[in-house]
Amino acid sequence: MSTVSVRYIVDDVDAAIAFYCTELGFHEDMHPDPAFAMLSRGDLRLVLVSPVGADHRGGGSRPMPDGTPQTPGGWNRFMLEVSNLEATIATLRENGVAFRNDLVTGVGGKQVMIEDPSGNPVELFEPIIREARLDS
Amino acid sequence: MSDPLEALRLPDIPIDPRPEFAAALLRRIETTPAPAAARAATVRYFVSDLDAAVDFYCALLGFEEELRPSPVFAMLYRGDLRLLLSVPGVNHALPDGTLPEPGGWNRMSLPVTDLAASVAELRQQGVRFRTEVVTSVGVMQILLDDPSGNLVELFEPLEGYHERRRSTP
Repeated sequence: MSTVSVRYIVDDVDAAIAFYCTELGFHEDMHPDPAFAMLSRGDLRLVLVSPVGADHRGGGSRPMPDGTPQTPGGWNRFMLEVSNLEATIATLRENGVAFRNDLVTGVGGKQVMIEDPSGNPVELFEPIIREARLDS
Repeated sequence: MSDPLEALRLPDIPIDPRPEFAAALLRRIETTPAPAAARAATVRYFVSDLDAAVDFYCALLGFEEELRPSPVFAMLYRGDLRLLLSVPGVNHALPDGTLPEPGGWNRMSLPVTDLAASVAELRQQGVRFRTEVVTSVGVMQILLDDPSGNLVELFEPLEGYHERRRSTP
């Protein structure tokens, strides 16, 4: 099992599927429940779930034992490597995608943070040194 | 008057591209499969204590340390997952100065072969769990906290677990 799984909490699974598939090149693998979808992009599997009740058959987005609900947001994120970040940013801006910041040049690459329709961050990066590339 | 530096000039060396060498090199580039790591998916977590986080992920969850070039950044691997650990700093700040912080509900899900055994072992090591083992559709899963309060999901596939068949190995 080599696929890497990441789970994001979203308010609206359908809106999230449209966003990730249209804007970021994900493929919809399954959407068997209004509160659950599984997408993939290369070796990344993205599980999208919306908060459900404690008795829902899907267990990934139930509230905590003390009742605390799971919510979108935060800062932890998956990263997608792109080959031309400026061009990607221009396209996404044209499509109305929300950005948390402007392009930042770090040690290993250029990066920018966008938000999905629920406000979850996704980091896009373009490596500028070999060590930062996925095949380094 | 001749250029005094002329004496230091190296003779022009004719460049001979040797077509057969170039063709062989091109063939090799085109036929060499990309290394496995080229498909690694990358996740970034923000942590408050880098050393504690590296110890936690490597000692308890099977990650390997790849790089730790500074006190605020480390790169770990677990199979095809590349995990970047960052201590929030000015280079992560939003234009209004807001700094990222650990926490939230989005998480990586790590497959294990025997969830009950993993949970027992991790409990013994003092790991904090947010939930008990939950049986869901196709998986059993549990949520735990890293030392900074970031969420990690462990899961064990059950009968009926879905995995997309991929066209490339």
